[in-house]
Amino acid sequence: MTPSSVATLGLVLLAAPALPGIAGRTKSFLTGRRGAPVLQLYRDLAKLARKGAVLSETTTAVFRAAPLVGLLTSLLAALLLPFDGRSPVAGFSGDLLLFAGLLALGRFVLVLAALDTGSSFEGMGASREAGFAAFTEPALFLCLLALVLATGELSLGGILGTPLAVAWSAGGPPLVMVGIALFIILLAEGSRVPVDDPATHLELTMIHEVMVLDHSGPDLGLILYGGALKLAVFAALVVGVMVPRTGVSAPVSAAILLAGLVVVAVVVGLVESVMARLRLDRVPQLLVAASALAAFAAILLLR
Amino acid sequence: MTLFFAGLALILAGGAGAVILRSRPRLGDALFVLLVMSGAVVSAVPALRVLAGGRVENVQLAAAVPGGPWVFGLDALSAFFALVFLGVGAASAVYGAAYLRDERPHRPVAFGHLLVAILLVSLALVVTAQAAVAFLSAWELMALSAYLLVVFESERAEVRRAGLIYLVATHTGTLALFVLFALWGVHAPDLTFASLAAAAPALPRAGAVVLLLGLAGFGVKAGFVPLHFWLPGAHAASPSHVSALMSGLVIKTGIYGLLRLVALTGAPPAWWGWTVLTLGLLSGVLGVLWALAQHDLKRLLAYHSVENIGIILLGLGVGALGSAYHVPAVAVLGYAGAALHVMNHALFKSLLFLGAGAVGKATGTRQIDRLGGLARAMPVTWVLFLVASAAIVGLPPLNGFVSEWVVFQALLRGGVTTSPLRLAIFGAAGLGLIGALALACFAKVCGVIFLGRARTPLARAPREAPAGLLAPMVVLAVACGFIGLLPVVVVGPALRAGAAVAGVPDAGTLGGVGDVMASVRWIAWSAAALVVTLGAGWMLRAAVLRRRPVRSGPTWGCGYALTSARMQYTASSFAAPLLEAYGPLAGVEAERGPATFATHAHDPVLDGVLERAWGGLQALAARLRPLERGRLSNGLFYVLTTVIVLLAYLVVAARPL
Repeated sequence: MTPSSVATLGLVLLAAPALPGIAGRTKSFLTGRRGAPVLQLYRDLAKLARKGAVLSETTTAVFRAAPLVGLLTSLLAALLLPFDGRSPVAGFSGDLLLFAGLLALGRFVLVLAALDTGSSFEGMGASREAGFAAFTEPALFLCLLALVLATGELSLGGILGTPLAVAWSAGGPPLVMVGIALFIILLAEGSRVPVDDPATHLELTMIHEVMVLDHSGPDLGLILYGGALKLAVFAALVVGVMVPRTGVSAPVSAAILLAGLVVVAVVVGLVESVMARLRLDRVPQLLVAASALAAFAAILLLR
Repeated sequence: MTLFFAGLALILAGGAGAVILRSRPRLGDALFVLLVMSGAVVSAVPALRVLAGGRVENVQLAAAVPGGPWVFGLDALSAFFALVFLGVGAASAVYGAAYLRDERPHRPVAFGHLLVAILLVSLALVVTAQAAVAFLSAWELMALSAYLLVVFESERAEVRRAGLIYLVATHTGTLALFVLFALWGVHAPDLTFASLAAAAPALPRAGAVVLLLGLAGFGVKAGFVPLHFWLPGAHAASPSHVSALMSGLVIKTGIYGLLRLVALTGAPPAWWGWTVLTLGLLSGVLGVLWALAQHDLKRLLAYHSVENIGIILLGLGVGALGSAYHVPAVAVLGYAGAALHVMNHALFKSLLFLGAGAVGKATGTRQIDRLGGLARAMPVTWVLFLVASAAIVGLPPLNGFVSEWVVFQALLRGGVTTSPLRLAIFGAAGLGLIGALALACFAKVCGVIFLGRARTPLARAPREAPAGLLAPMVVLAVACGFIGLLPVVVVGPALRAGAAVAGVPDAGTLGGVGDVMASVRWIAWSAAALVVTLGAGWMLRAAVLRRRPVRSGPTWGCGYALTSARMQYTASSFAAPLLEAYGPLAGVEAERGPATFATHAHDPVLDGVLERAWGGLQALAARLRPLERGRLSNGLFYVLTTVIVLLAYLVVAARPL
């Protein structure tokens, strides 16, 4: 833990809600609409924080705890990433599994909360979320494995530093493949097009949105912020892999990261503008493609 | 060792006491519970001493049977398994006393307790035996007492069938073990493990036959794919505390056998390690996939045992590869991860089975799709079941995460070497897939059984399980949480057991192992951080909402006003998209009528292969029937032909008797 790592983490926590806004703005710009302001999510969060809540009679404590668990797990996972390009707030050898485990815990509890409402729509969302995660998870693991093979390091903090820069100079193509696979995972985990559509209005076609239909007030705020943070964490992972920052001062590194997050958000918006979401039974194919890409990269990196 | 045997004697006395006092059931049950618990504690003392680095003298009995003396001893591996077996076994036995209480009028409950005691003792003997004949005797005692417990409710046809399949399977496995020790014993003066280990270098083809026989023989017991076919039926058929014993402990003796085999033969060849690793992946993925398809809670849990055996085999396989490619740190970590997952799986899987028993008692059904909303009626059972579910999925901050992390470490550290061992790193991706599928499966189980609303009206309103059932479950759940929060306590002993298997005297000095021990601290910190921040956040949320208007109302029906409990997602509909993506692998048969739809889960190995093969064999046998019609002349003809053929063989081979 260094002052700069904590400061950059703070910056990312502050900037996270802007990412969905940037993606949305890109989409509206390209489709010739004015669209919601970039900072809309901040306003939504501020409004939700002041509100009361409506709780379904069917629900139990799981439903109430889930938004909190979802946010906290994303937050703790963020502690493992070296946002300033040097060191994470916390990290140890083998923390890759903790990273995946924490995100899985958040998903587990959110899925349970959806089933807790006894609504058929939310059960549907829960089923899809858990089902698609079974395809994203191996892809994520394969990406991490490829990075381990590329750098010989066993922790996120170790991988995303100088060793990765060395690996880039040794050969870029496999790392580009890992970056693309991670971006697909980001689209799935962040519930974006072509896996999920955050702007859809029909419950039948939703995945993440329909899971959280019954949450309201501060709880919904926690879910929205947790989702934005998860998106930021994966975006930072993509940036960390694609732009290894070594030999630059901490402020420059932080600036590069923030610029990278904006670029990722714009690309997410671009993807949403040029393609429709996939049919639900086609989504696994996309995610398996991400797995295949990462596995390919790992094989290339075996040397 | 005397102390260890004294503890086992206490356990046996508890079982015997239950039978003797069966006319006074309350006293008998109390005596049984007391003696089993104290016996487990007494026997645990020498095992703990060994794991702390001490030594325990072997016991040698000059048995009047071939194969040399019967030796019993405790090394780190034995001690680790013995502790798990005694601890979890005692908890299950105590649960059993309360579970079977109301079955007294129509079942010999006291004899059930005696059988549980015998099973526990034979389990302890299996892991401490240091001679082949003693080992096989204990093994057989275990198999038979387990069989009698499986068919405890023998009035049901499916129970008898499951018991028969189990009996046939386990004896086929034992047959392989007999051959194993017989072939090995040819090269050794007697059948004590010490002599066998000394003779291991003399085995032809680097012990290939012995290692394969071990994989088959112990594999049937461990129940990995494709040798798992007996397991779901047997686990689902038995009373819940017996399922816990079977799934938590009995199948682990197969893993113990494999670890012991590796310890005795020395570094296994690489192909064996790759075979084990592949079997582990296969077992892990298919086990959880088939679990997803199940409608019966206990069958579902049984398939998860297949999955977890897969994870254990991943550790064992990468450990064997570490030995084969001379990377001792990977070997120690792999074996230690396997041993640790044995312990953790024993804890959370028996907890799950005991929870399933409590649900079954309260509702009278094990069909997941008929249940719903039990969290309100059974809050304590629900919390315990949730803890065990999160643990089995491998989520922090619980014990399942710790052992999967150690296995993961072994796979990754294999990956950063330069030998062919680095291919093993792809096993870690399998671990990710298994974890995500398990998450889907347990989200389904927890969500459908305990959350939402009741799907069908039950015969009677479910009530919270009695304290006698809950107390042993609480102990197991606390153990799961404790290991998750303070993994250092168990990772050290597991590494000691792993080092004993790998034959590495001072594992702590290996770079990788020291690094892992240092990182375990971080696991503890992260678990603590999770728990503390969650607690703080929960209080903060409550404080904020106290000052806000909080209303409650019906679940939002998306504009539809007349929702009913039958509209909820069921376990089948929850799992359907995922199973569909896996196609025929998932073993699901869909049945579509004009207005009905039903899915049936079948076991691709048992129903798809074995039943057909068995049918074919029977058809062949039927065609042979005309040969034997009970006529004396036919019989005489066969005898004469056989004698002539034998004589001809002797003449041709020119080897007079």
